[in-house]
Amino acid sequence: MGIRIKRHTFLSNRECQLIHEGSCRLLSESGIKIESQEAIQIFLKKGARFEDGRVKIPPHLVEQSIEQTAKSIELGAKNTDNKIVINPDSPEIHFGTGGQALYVLDYEKYMFTRRPAVTQDLIDIVRICEQLENIDFITRPVEPDVPEEAMDLEKTGIFLEYTTKHMNLANLIKLNKLPEIIATVKDKSLISFISCVTVSPMNLVSPTIDKFIKIVERDIPVAISSCPQAGTTAPLSEIGELIQVNAEVLSAVVLANLIKPGAKVLYRGIPISSDLSGDGSPRWCQPESIRRIAMVSDMTYFYKIPCCGTAAVSDEKIPNVQNIAEKTISWVFEAASGAQFINSALGMLERILTVSPEQYIIDNKIISNIKQLFKRSPDYNIRDLAQTAVKDALEMFDISMNTHVKQDISDRIEYILNGQEQLTQENIDSQVEFIGNAVSSGKSSILFMKASRSGLRKGWLYNGSKIDGELNLEEIHHYKNRLLKSSC
Amino acid sequence: MADILEKIKKNVIEGRVDYEDEGFDGDMEGQPGVLELVEKALEENIPPSDILNIAISPGMNEVGRLYESGEYLIPDMLASAECVSEATKILEPLLLEGENKSRGKFVIATVEDDLHDIGKNIVTTLLRGSGFDVHDLGTGIKADKIVDAIEKSQAKYLGLSALLTTTMGHMEEVIDLLKDKGIRDQVIVCIGGAPISEDFAQKIGADLYGEDAFDAINKLGNITP
Repeated sequence: MGIRIKRHTFLSNRECQLIHEGSCRLLSESGIKIESQEAIQIFLKKGARFEDGRVKIPPHLVEQSIEQTAKSIELGAKNTDNKIVINPDSPEIHFGTGGQALYVLDYEKYMFTRRPAVTQDLIDIVRICEQLENIDFITRPVEPDVPEEAMDLEKTGIFLEYTTKHMNLANLIKLNKLPEIIATVKDKSLISFISCVTVSPMNLVSPTIDKFIKIVERDIPVAISSCPQAGTTAPLSEIGELIQVNAEVLSAVVLANLIKPGAKVLYRGIPISSDLSGDGSPRWCQPESIRRIAMVSDMTYFYKIPCCGTAAVSDEKIPNVQNIAEKTISWVFEAASGAQFINSALGMLERILTVSPEQYIIDNKIISNIKQLFKRSPDYNIRDLAQTAVKDALEMFDISMNTHVKQDISDRIEYILNGQEQLTQENIDSQVEFIGNAVSSGKSSILFMKASRSGLRKGWLYNGSKIDGELNLEEIHHYKNRLLKSSC
Repeated sequence: MADILEKIKKNVIEGRVDYEDEGFDGDMEGQPGVLELVEKALEENIPPSDILNIAISPGMNEVGRLYESGEYLIPDMLASAECVSEATKILEPLLLEGENKSRGKFVIATVEDDLHDIGKNIVTTLLRGSGFDVHDLGTGIKADKIVDAIEKSQAKYLGLSALLTTTMGHMEEVIDLLKDKGIRDQVIVCIGGAPISEDFAQKIGADLYGEDAFDAINKLGNITP
C-alpha cells in the first residue's frame, strides 16, 4: 500500500508562484486552441474571451478553479483494503501500472519473442499485478483485441473479474459507452480515467475533450494529462517547458471546474525532452526528463491538487542492466517528489510499445526495495538513496557496480539535482513571449527546434553513456509462471 | 561577388534564415540572414544558379557533413534546411526559367485521428530543402482527402506519418483507396512514425519506410517514380 515520505523539492514556493504567473499570462494573452464547440461555449459563458481562434482564459478563472478543485480524492477498490485516498496535504505515494503497449515480449529459455498483444495478455497481466504487493492500482497495460466498439466494456469486465485493486481504465475509447461502463462496475468509485486532452503546444483536442467533459459531469476521477516534448513541442528550456505544461494542464483544470465545481481531477504533467540528436523521439527516462517530471510535483503541492506522477518509461527493448538503472532512478525521484498516484511504465519496455510479464516481476522487486529504503531512512539523503537503490536493484541479479557504472549513476543523479538555468523573472518573461510567438506562428515545432540550438550547446540534454549488461531471467520467469498458475 | 556568396553559404551552415535569427549563441540578431543576402545577391545581378550552386548547395553539403560527424544535431540540420527552403522560394521561379527543376511534387500528411506533427514537419522541411515541391496537408487527415490531394496535384510522392499504434492502421486505408482509384502505381508511398517498422511497411504495401527523417531523404534519393 501507500508509503509516506518526506518530500524532496526542486522548486521553492516563490519559484512555483513565478511559474504560475507565467502560465496565467500565457493563458490570458496567447490562450488555448480548443477543437470542441461545447468546451468553447463553457469557457465563454464564464468570462473567457475568444480571439484569433483561441480561448483566452483570465487569471481569476484560473485562481478560482484551483481553489475549487477537489483537494482529496478517494479511489475505491473491490477489496476495501486496497482503497487509495489521495490528499495533497500528505505526501503518501502509491505505485501503479501504465500503458498502452502494442506488443508483448515473451521469454522462454533465454530467448525473447515480440508479438502483438491480445485479450489474454490483458487478463494475464491484470492477474499478475493483482498478486504483486507493490502495485497499488492497475492502469490498463494493453487493450483487448476486440472491435473498437467493444473495447471499453471488454476491458472493464476483465478488470472487474481479475482485480480487487483500483481500476484505472486509462482512456475512454467510445464516449457512448460511459453509461454502460458505470452500470457494469455499479460502484463508480472503483474506476478512474486518464484524459490526454492536450496536444502541445496549447491545444485542447477533440474527441478527447468531449469525453473529458462527460467523465467530469459523471463525477469520476480523471487525470488531466499533458506531455510536451522539450525542443519539439515545447521550449528546450526547463523553465519554458514548465510554464507551458502548467498552462496546458491548468486550462483543463479550469474547464473541469466550470463544468462541475470541485471536480475530481488529478494533475498529470509530463514535461519530457526530445531526442534532438536522433529522430526527435521522446526521452522519458533521461535525467533532464526525470528532473522536470519531479518538478511538476512541486507545482501540484503548490496548488494542493492531487498529483498523478509518471515514471520508469525506459527506451530499452528487453529487460537489461540499463533498463533497471534508469527505471530505478526515475522511481526514486518521482517517489521523493511526493507524486501520490504514480502511473508507471511497470512491466513496460521500448518506451511503452512493448510489455513484458517478466518485467512486472522485476519492477515489483525494484519498487519494494525503494519503499524499504525510504522507510529505513526517513530523513534520507537523496544522492545516497538513489545510488543504493540502483546498487540493490542490480545485486538482485548478482551484478555489482564497477567504478564506471557508479560514476555514470552518480553523473545522472547530479544532473537531476542541479538545474542548468536560473529561474528569474526575466527568463519567465522571455519564455512566455517565446511560447506565445511559437503558438501563433503556426510552425511551432520548427521554432522550438531552431531555438534549442543554443541550449543544446549548453548541455540542456544529458549526454551520458549506456550501461551494457544482460540479466539472467530464469528465476523471474519461473516466478511469473507460478503467479499465473496460482491465480487460475 | 565571392564575398556575398561566401556569406550566404556561412548563414546556411549556421541556419540563419533572416536578420531576426539570433544564431547559435544568441548574438546574431540584426545581421542579414540568408533571405536578405540572397535578395542582395540578385540585386547585384549574380545569377540564381550561382547562388544555388556556389553558396547554398555547398553550404548544405557542409551541414550534412557536420551532421554525419555528430557535430550537428537535428535542430541544426533543420535550421539550415529551412534556410534552403526559404531561399528556394525566391530562386525557384528564376531557376525554372533556366534548367534547374523541382524534384517533384510530394504530398505529405499525418493520418486520420492522429494530431502529431513533429516527424512530419521535420521531413517536410528537409524535403523542401532537398528540392521537392511539398504540399503539407496537416494532421488528422482522412484517407479520402489524402487521395483527393494526390489526384488533384498529380504528385508522384506521398508521405504518411503516424505516432500512435491506434492510428497507424489508417495508412493501409490510404493505400487501399489509391488501389481502388486505380492510381496506386502512379505514386510512391513513403511511411514513417514511432510505431512504424519495415515489416509494417511491407505488410500494408508501402514503397518506402523511413526510420527517421534523414533515412527517408536518403532512401528517396535512391528511388525514382
